[in-house]
Order: sequence, then C-alpha cells, then structure tokens
Amino acid sequence: MAGRIYARKTVVMQPFDGVAIQTEGLGKSFGHVQALKSLDLAVPRNSIFGFLGPNGAGKTTTMKLLLGLIHPGSGGGTIWGQDIVRDSIAIRSRVGYLPQQPRFIDGMTGRETLDFTARFFFAGPEGRIEARIEEMLELVGLSDKADRPVKGFSGGERQRLGLALAQINDPDLLILDEPAAALDPIGRQDVLAVMERLREHATIFYSTHILDDVQQVSDTVAILNRGELVAQGPVEQLLNGSDKVVYQVVMEGDTGSARARVAGQPWVAGIDETQRDGATAWQVSVTDEQAAKAQLLRLVLSDGQIVVTEFSRKTYELEEVFMNIVKEEAHG
Amino acid sequence: MGSNAGEFQRVSERGWRNGLANLLRKENRTWWGSRRWLTQSLLWLVVVNGLVALALFALPLAVEMDPNQNVEDVDFVAIGFQVLFQIGAIGMAVGVIILAQGLVIGERQSGVTEWILAKPVSRAAYILSKLIAHGIGVLVILVGLQSGVAYGLLSLASGDLLPLPSFIAGVAGLALHTLFYLTLTLMMGVFAESRDKLLGVALGTLLGGLVLSSIVGRLALVTPWLLPTLLPMLALGEPLPLPISWSMIATAAWCVVFVVAALWKFERVEF
Repeated sequence: MAGRIYARKTVVMQPFDGVAIQTEGLGKSFGHVQALKSLDLAVPRNSIFGFLGPNGAGKTTTMKLLLGLIHPGSGGGTIWGQDIVRDSIAIRSRVGYLPQQPRFIDGMTGRETLDFTARFFFAGPEGRIEARIEEMLELVGLSDKADRPVKGFSGGERQRLGLALAQINDPDLLILDEPAAALDPIGRQDVLAVMERLREHATIFYSTHILDDVQQVSDTVAILNRGELVAQGPVEQLLNGSDKVVYQVVMEGDTGSARARVAGQPWVAGIDETQRDGATAWQVSVTDEQAAKAQLLRLVLSDGQIVVTEFSRKTYELEEVFMNIVKEEAHG
Repeated sequence: MGSNAGEFQRVSERGWRNGLANLLRKENRTWWGSRRWLTQSLLWLVVVNGLVALALFALPLAVEMDPNQNVEDVDFVAIGFQVLFQIGAIGMAVGVIILAQGLVIGERQSGVTEWILAKPVSRAAYILSKLIAHGIGVLVILVGLQSGVAYGLLSLASGDLLPLPSFIAGVAGLALHTLFYLTLTLMMGVFAESRDKLLGVALGTLLGGLVLSSIVGRLALVTPWLLPTLLPMLALGEPLPLPISWSMIATAAWCVVFVVAALWKFERVEF
C-alpha cells in the first residue's frame, strides 16, 4: 500500500492489513501542557486492546484525536489505513464510541436516542432499524426503560445506553472510554461479555482503571503515563515480565550454603531474599529459563537441611506490572 | 461493517451534508414535534398582535374619552404599523436571541455536541441544521404568523385591504432584522465560551445599536439598526428619508458573514 502524507507534519506511514489503528508521533498540547507526546501505537485488528494509564495520562485525548474531536498538534494516525484527520467522517461511519461520561439529549427517551443515532448510519428499511434498536435495548437490559426520558436515567443506565449506542451501527471498531466505570459488578461482567462477543468481527480499543477486567478480556495492552507510551504488547508478555524470568522459592532451614551455590550459577542474575513467618523466600532472577527449570530446584534440594514449601515461576498481576512501570517512570 | 450491516440501507449523504438530514429532523422536532410552535404562537400573538389590537381598537376609545384630543386627528392604523414593525422588530430580536442562546453553547457545555460529532456528521451540517430549522421556526411563527394576523387587524381597522406589496416589503425587512439576530446569536454560540458573553454581545448589539444609530449618522445604513425606524414607513408605502435598500442589503450581508464565520470557527473548535 502507498504511504500517507499528513498535512500538519510529514509523516509517512505504511498501514498493513493486521492493524486497525496505527499512530506515528501523534502529539497534542493544550496551551503549555503537552497532553500527548509522540505516540506510536499499533492496535491489531479484532483485538481487545486495553489502554491503561493514570488520570491525566492522555488516554481520552488519544481517543478524541482518533475520532477527529480534537486536532493533532504533531504526527498523525490511520484507522484501517484511512487518515484520522482527512478521512474522519468515513472512519466515524465504521466506529462506535462510548465517551467517559455519556451525555444525551435530555428530551429524548432511550428508544428515541437510539433511533436518532441509528439514522446517522442507516436510511432504512424501517423494520430493520426498529429491530436493531430492540436488539440493542435487550442487549444492555434497558428494554423496560426504553420509553422513559434519558434525563431520569441513573449513571449506570446512561452507561448501558451509551454502550448500546456505540454498537447500534454494528461497528468495525469500538472506542470505549472507561466503559465499566459507572457500573456495578454485574453490569461490569455484562460489559465484558459484550466485548468478548464483539471480538469476532470488531476491534475494541478501550481505556479503563479496572485492571482485573483488562487481565480478564484483553489480549493486548498499552500503558500510557504523562502523555508517553511506556509499554505496549500482549498481556501475557507483560504479565510474564518482558525482560526477565523470576522463580520464587520458599524454604525452611539454613539457606546460607544453598544461596551461595545458586548465586554461583552463570544463568542466575540475582537473588532477592525476604523472611516471612520463619521461612525464607527467594525471588531468583534468571537469564536462561531452561537451565533454571532443570537445575534450580535440584540445586536447592541438594542441601539436605532445607525443606522447600513453595517453588514456582513468578507470575505478575497486571496491577503489579502497571504500578511498577508507572513508578519507574516517575523516578526517571 | 459487522455481520448484520448488509441488511441495512446506508445513509447516502456525502461531504458537508453528512448527517444534515438527521440533524434537521432533530432540530425541526424542537419546533414542530413539541408544543413549542403552539406556545410561541400564542406568546407572540399576545405580545405583538395584542399590542397592535390595543393600538387599533382600544387606543381610539381612550382618545375619544379625552376632551383635549380629536380622534379624527390620530392615524391609529399608522400607530398599528409602528407597533408591528418597530416595537415588534425589537421584541422579536430579543425573543430570537433568548430562543437561540442555548442552541450551540448549551449542547457544547452539556457534552451533546461531542457525542453528535463522534458520529459521521460534518461540522458544517451541525451548524446549518440549527440555522435552517430555527430560521424556519422563527420566520414562520414569529414573523410570518404575526405579520399575517396583524395584516388582518390593520385591514379591519382601516376598513379595506391594505396594499400588499408595500406590506410584504416591510415583512421582508422584519424577517431580515430577525435573521440578523438569529445568525449573530448562533455565531456567538460558536465563538463564546459562556452564555453571559453571548447575551452581552447579542443584546448589546441590539440595544446599543438603537442608541448608536442616531450618533453614527449614515454609517448606520450598513447596519440593521435603522430598520425598526424605517420599516413602518416602508410598509405604509410612505416616502423614506433614507435609502432602506442599503440597510436591507447590509443586513443580509451581515447574516452571510455571521454564518460563514460560525462555520469557519466551528471547524476549529475542539471537544
């Protein structure tokens, strides 16, 4: 495919088939505040892409840039190879968007709001549009409240209606800004189920603070901090630690000689030792996972004085990874 | 599109017209899909034609009771024309500013504009839908209906049908004057960040203009400020002290300038 040249700053991109969203050097400032600094993002097609970051990291700014609601200060981006500035309307005809705080026209009912939204995409047939509206109301559990004015909707009901509106056009890409923020645990699970269901034919790009949800449904994540992308990749890769493998060993007994023996191995990068409830816990960082798998436990047990109560490859929780990355960034 | 999209007939609008038909339906609904058309009709019937009726039918009774005045010396039909085209013009301008003040700024502040613009909608369509729908609403209910009823009352009072061409020319001027304040208010909804500023500029232009028009001399001819003074004479078919066509053309030009400025700025607004 041919490269693209952007009006603001010359950015040549080579969009490729496997990517839904691609940005290169995308930046945005508000006055003296640089909200987004040269973002290079690649969101695979048909992925559930979690976009993480603390408040003010630039997540909403990125989403608004992708939708043409704000204009890039530098760089650019494409969605399915279409320019986010020049082809914005064409992009929006294939996108569903749920803003962080959904706002609707107060005088309309839920059904009227869905009908109004559907008609930005569809001219007919009437029966099919009405059926689609019913389908969406059913999906988000608002069928019994469909004819009430949205003015009286609770925060959760607004969020559900917003989710229905985002899907009314059967989009190829859903951009969801904190989709589960105002929902109770059951509502959250419903949202995750909807996202799973849509994965088959749509790409979902969503921001959230609920890291459990990300771990549950996302296949790829990006972490943004202070306007900069600090990590991006498959969830599994982030959870396993991208640069090192760590084994946990918990033992009872005198570990002094075992420690010297293990530390002397060429594939051991370091041992972090802590004491807990009379036991010794090691976190052994290794550079050769195969060697560690074959030899580490054997080396520890070769000292007959030691009883090993736990031995496992350390798995990280996403929250831990997220906090570590954000803290590392904060400390420069 | 996803799996079910093939069953739908896609919207065919392209370019600046993207979303226009749907937005027009929404804006028209605020006038014709609710009771607004009825309440505004009744309100302006009382305000404008109530005053016209008072001037035509109650004022002669009051003059008759005054021993110092001769009822034959007072042209009550001319007073009726003044009420419609002078007081009515200013009243309709205030009304249109109040009616239109929240059209853009209200939706921007509530987040509705952001929500709408995330759909396949051109920004020009957003502004034009408001201009067209509310322009029609205002011209039909405020200007057209009230002028029509007033024409009936004035003809009744004069005992014969009034000459239609000059009356229509007066109504056209009244429509232009009202549209000036509609387009100004719409434009200020795009430029201003708050309703205070919007109302300050729009009402300031209207009320300040009434004062300034007597100070700036013939320069006032390139503004709508002289229209309320000249329109009664135009509608009555009387000779005009100043060329009103200048004011009419200038007012129309200002309307175009305001719309173009609103479209230009709105393309650059961020949400």
